[in-house]
Amino acid sequence: MADDRKKVLSIRDLSISFKTGAGDVNAIRGVKLDLYKGETIAIVGESGSGKSVTVKAIMGILASNGRVNSGSILFDYKRGEEEVHEDLLKLSQKEMRRRIDGKRIAMVFQDPMTSLDPTMTIGKQIMEGMLYHLKMSKEEAWKKAVNLLELVGITDAEKRMKNYPHQLSGGMRQRVVIACALACDPEVLICDEPTTALDVTIQAKILELIKEIQKKTNISVIYITHDLGVVAKVADYVMVMYAGRIVEKGTVDEIFYDPRHPYTWGLLSAMPDLDTDDDRLYTIPGTPPNLLYEVKGDAFAERNQFALNIDFRLLPPMFKVSDTHYAATWLLAEGAPKVEMPTELRERLRRMRREAGINE
Amino acid sequence: MSDHEMEKSTVVRVPETAAQSERKPLLTVKNLKQHFRVSRKFTVKAVDGVSFEIYPGETYGLVGESGSGKSTIGRSIIRLYEPTDGEVDFNGVKISGRLGAKELEHLRVKMQMIFQDPMASLNPRKKVMDIVAQGLDLHHMCKNAKEREERVYEILNMVGLSKEHANRYPHQFSGGQRQRIGIARALIMNPDLIIADEAISALDVSIQAQVVNLMKEVQESTGTAILFIAHDLSMVKYISDRIGVLHLGHLLESGTKDEIFSHPLHPYTKSLLSAIPLPNPEVEKSRRAVTYDYASSGIDYNKGTVHNVGGTHRVLGTDEEVARWLAE
Repeated sequence: MADDRKKVLSIRDLSISFKTGAGDVNAIRGVKLDLYKGETIAIVGESGSGKSVTVKAIMGILASNGRVNSGSILFDYKRGEEEVHEDLLKLSQKEMRRRIDGKRIAMVFQDPMTSLDPTMTIGKQIMEGMLYHLKMSKEEAWKKAVNLLELVGITDAEKRMKNYPHQLSGGMRQRVVIACALACDPEVLICDEPTTALDVTIQAKILELIKEIQKKTNISVIYITHDLGVVAKVADYVMVMYAGRIVEKGTVDEIFYDPRHPYTWGLLSAMPDLDTDDDRLYTIPGTPPNLLYEVKGDAFAERNQFALNIDFRLLPPMFKVSDTHYAATWLLAEGAPKVEMPTELRERLRRMRREAGINE
Repeated sequence: MSDHEMEKSTVVRVPETAAQSERKPLLTVKNLKQHFRVSRKFTVKAVDGVSFEIYPGETYGLVGESGSGKSTIGRSIIRLYEPTDGEVDFNGVKISGRLGAKELEHLRVKMQMIFQDPMASLNPRKKVMDIVAQGLDLHHMCKNAKEREERVYEILNMVGLSKEHANRYPHQFSGGQRQRIGIARALIMNPDLIIADEAISALDVSIQAQVVNLMKEVQESTGTAILFIAHDLSMVKYISDRIGVLHLGHLLESGTKDEIFSHPLHPYTKSLLSAIPLPNPEVEKSRRAVTYDYASSGIDYNKGTVHNVGGTHRVLGTDEEVARWLAE
């Protein structure tokens, strides 16, 4: 990889727990993540794996019963000419709201109907951030908002400024949410399942739109999704999360064509395949562990048909596969028995590589 | 007439068509219309002349974007709405228009529905036992409490829940389990047709596969037909035998899943299929979805007629349009 990549965000040993009536739920158990300028990472995993909690921690919008136990979220940005290097977890909520949220790091939520204010025109909502953070004059902000609406592909932008959210369709609303997020030229854009509530045709348009904007403005994007098709379309790097930990990370090609963790194998096998007619869809047996209780060893061991004895006792460290590819499974340890991925999956990956024109 | 030309192209596939026509359809929908009057001047034509049929034991998938009328069709057929116009024939009984007590009973027993949100469709104050048995109670299908209990246990077992679950309340279950209860409730009436309206959309991906597998198993053992309404094309392809593509209340294209997925004709179907992201990064990165815009496409759904283009593959369009799509 090129050395001129500039690190924007780096998370180290993040651990978060939630206080509930039944006890503390350890939702995040040591997450490490690096985001570079202009690049896209995707975090994939089942519900409850902690992907949303991770990005909420970045934004400082954890639920009130959430507590950060340890770790740091370092954020590098430029304030004017000055380079700033800050730990977001050390900032107070007030400072986060004033200096970071919406200005430096912006977020697009899953449901565009609940993230827009139904009593405010969309123009006002897009301008809100600029007026507050950038202290722009109303005329300037109005002009920029119109430009933004055009950027996200809304025709008749001038007229649309005076519309209310209910006057727009679902896809249009999500475009407005993206325009709001981009209003203050943030360094980082976080998209939490941005297209799950939308139809496939609109999903394709929104994803292509975010990609285009990224090319123009060179912002870094974090995607959270459970749709591996979306990951394949947008991501440069992929993190696979399971039970509050990252179990495998690598470039998108490494994860899709050469997965190493049994959980990633399961995820890839479970994708419905448009080309073959299997009789049954593959499902990963069992359910994710309850994080109320301390997890011993590898959290996935219970559901893992390839689990070794050591998996039930010791937490596997991140084993290095290549410079960019790491996986937390004892199968990669020295002296571990040689375990191959299931044959169906191997066949499928071979077919995928052939379609992509990659030589083996 | 170019209809004759169409005829020619079907010649090769005739044997299959003949086999199709020998089987008696379970459900025939003819020119179904469902309009909603919003105000004196404005009427929403949610479904505008849709015809299709479902054969016993098969799964028919209805796909389309939101607002295309796919859910409305399901609800009109099972008479949650009063259809504006059209004829629906179920098991040889006409179930459109005014219904007598006998027809209504037939419809309410033999056609069942599974809803999208399992939490919202289960009564939170009733135990699973009573939720599942409600149909039996309403239609007096059990002689005594013991028989009722046994029937419920049997069905719960079939959908992968245990006896102990019968005495719990819906909130004590996970999303996937709740949807299993919804399926059990539909199955206990031993229906000929189940309408599954976005039955898996509200579930987590890993759970979706489990529920779809279950529906397939259930269909194999009971032989019930399923009308599967969804917007997730990859799931629809997996579960359906035949597929209908809806847009703006019109059925644009229908056929077996191979006909639709391998040889889509209508530009809308093509754009819909191309919009599915492929889980193959090198291919997906360079691929762009085909765009389709009804307003600028020059196609008028109201002018089109249904053309049979071979096998069970039908497409809606004017003669020239269909000829052009076939040539492409």
